[in-house]
Amino acid sequence: MSKELAIKSFQAVGFPTSKMEEWKYTSLKNLNEIDWSWEELNLSVASIDGLQICTLQDLLNHSTEFKAKWEGKDPILEQNPLFALNAAICENPLVLWIKEGIQIEDAVHLSVFLKQDKNTAFQSKMIVFLEKDSSFSIIESANSQGETPVFSTFVQEVFLAEGAQFKYVKEQNLSDSCTYVDQTFVYQDSNSQADTFTFSLNGGIIRNNLHFYINGEQVVSNLNGLYVPGANQLMDTHSVVDHRLPNSESNELYKGVLMGQSTGVFNGKIFVRKDAQKTNAFQSCRNVLASQKATMNTKPQLEIWADDVKCSHGTTTGQLNEESLFYMRSRGISLAAAKTLLLLAFAQEVIDTIPFEETRKSISEKIIAKIEASNDLVI
Amino acid sequence: MLSINNLHARIGEKEILKGINLEIKPGEVHAIMGPNGSGKSTLASVLAGREDYEVTEGSVIFQGKDILELAPEERAAEGIFLAFQYPVEIPGVSTTNFLKSAVNEIRKYRGEEPMDAVQFLKMFKEKMAYVNIDQSLLSRALNEGFSGGEKKRNEIFQMAVLEPKLAILDETDSGLDIDALRIVAEGVNKLKGPDNATIVVTHYQRLLDYIVPDFVHVLYKGRIVKSGTKELALELEEKGYDWIKAEVD
Repeated sequence: MSKELAIKSFQAVGFPTSKMEEWKYTSLKNLNEIDWSWEELNLSVASIDGLQICTLQDLLNHSTEFKAKWEGKDPILEQNPLFALNAAICENPLVLWIKEGIQIEDAVHLSVFLKQDKNTAFQSKMIVFLEKDSSFSIIESANSQGETPVFSTFVQEVFLAEGAQFKYVKEQNLSDSCTYVDQTFVYQDSNSQADTFTFSLNGGIIRNNLHFYINGEQVVSNLNGLYVPGANQLMDTHSVVDHRLPNSESNELYKGVLMGQSTGVFNGKIFVRKDAQKTNAFQSCRNVLASQKATMNTKPQLEIWADDVKCSHGTTTGQLNEESLFYMRSRGISLAAAKTLLLLAFAQEVIDTIPFEETRKSISEKIIAKIEASNDLVI
Repeated sequence: MLSINNLHARIGEKEILKGINLEIKPGEVHAIMGPNGSGKSTLASVLAGREDYEVTEGSVIFQGKDILELAPEERAAEGIFLAFQYPVEIPGVSTTNFLKSAVNEIRKYRGEEPMDAVQFLKMFKEKMAYVNIDQSLLSRALNEGFSGGEKKRNEIFQMAVLEPKLAILDETDSGLDIDALRIVAEGVNKLKGPDNATIVVTHYQRLLDYIVPDFVHVLYKGRIVKSGTKELALELEEKGYDWIKAEVD
């Protein structure tokens, strides 16, 4: 489909609205009012020894090796007009290719930068291709500058061959006039491990879709995430972990600190297919409403067809404990500082999962700053 | 140092304190005793500024300041310390971090420079010896999974670090075995000086064997109905509270 045709057919349907089940709490209806300029966004990836960075077309045209390995890999994306349009616009995505047995210790920095000088609908796509027994890590930061409303869809397809290891840290720190949709597809073969760390620090609307397809045995998938919306921000996480084969393990640890009049959404689906016996799948989503005007919507969904599995899920949404606050104040700690300490202590569990010390420190500092700046915290 | 005049307080519609009068001078130890439900813990909570209670009448002057208008943290910075009957567990915050914040917030209130890490560590080590508390306890999350004795010892340790002018011990003896009780009492006694005062709220006389009061007050139905010296506590231990109730009712 040509780019123009894809845009036209998207415009006929429009942005998702709350009438669609998957977008029930995150209506993008208002975006239909804006005359968007649809553009492909260039991603900026730092180079590192052992990593091949190239566009998909170049690789298919010039590397018979890649072409052979890519055969049959092109996945079917979610049936969603947004992603169909992304695929049409980003027909030649960037590929990060890590060859068999290559272990890259240092994380690579990836920058997603949205310039807000006109109504741009940025589209970007990246493929991460990890061959057998390779290992690779990305620290991604999504930032923006300016005030004009922008929209962004960023799709990543990550392929982990047998024994591959992948760590993916995402820091989303965007302005209030950004609507940011992030879609991560992860395909895992046997003995591979993929860990994601999604930190939504700031942004008008942030929607994180994570789809994990477990296509092997002894696979480990860890999904960690923290969202700290304030003001009128909306942060939405939709995860799907699809256990298709036996003996694998998935863990989801999500936490939210909601301030101001913000809204949070967590929808976590776990599928355990008929053949996926001996699956261990765990999901936890805990939230603190740090403001009386904040809202959290949670929906865990487990669909289990196998009979010999261990699965659990738990979602909680609460407020700060008054007794704890009084205890801290009785020691001289101001109410604001006591709240900050308690909220940070709550978030710490997810922050501590970040395997890179500097990133852990800088994200932690940004979270403290955001909580401290939120002056309308109530218990 | 502390002057409580005709203090009335209620929780919801229920009046609990019905006119408390009490004068405390520097260097004194006052014991507040009384049967269950007499208002002992309420008095401790009202002095520390717990917001569940509403003061409807009276005044509390501490070192010349009316503290009823102050937030709990301001009272702490003025020098009031409440050792909790049930110390709160705070997951994710270590005692060390917690106290570092407390010390520096109080210093800020008093217009003093914050303590740096080296000064803090030195002071911490000194105070640890006071209450015989172990470093491993202090690096754990505050009170989380602590035994009853460890929690109370941690309270006294916090008191040693914060050096209050007025310490209020709310049923510090509850849930303690005799050894823990002795350690806690020793800590309190070491911290006692000519410039600070202590209020010991307790149901039983036992604690007063270790922390010897200058004055004993009996609280009943929201009023101090009898005051005396430490002998009064012994009399209560022997005869119970019924004779006092009979005198009042």
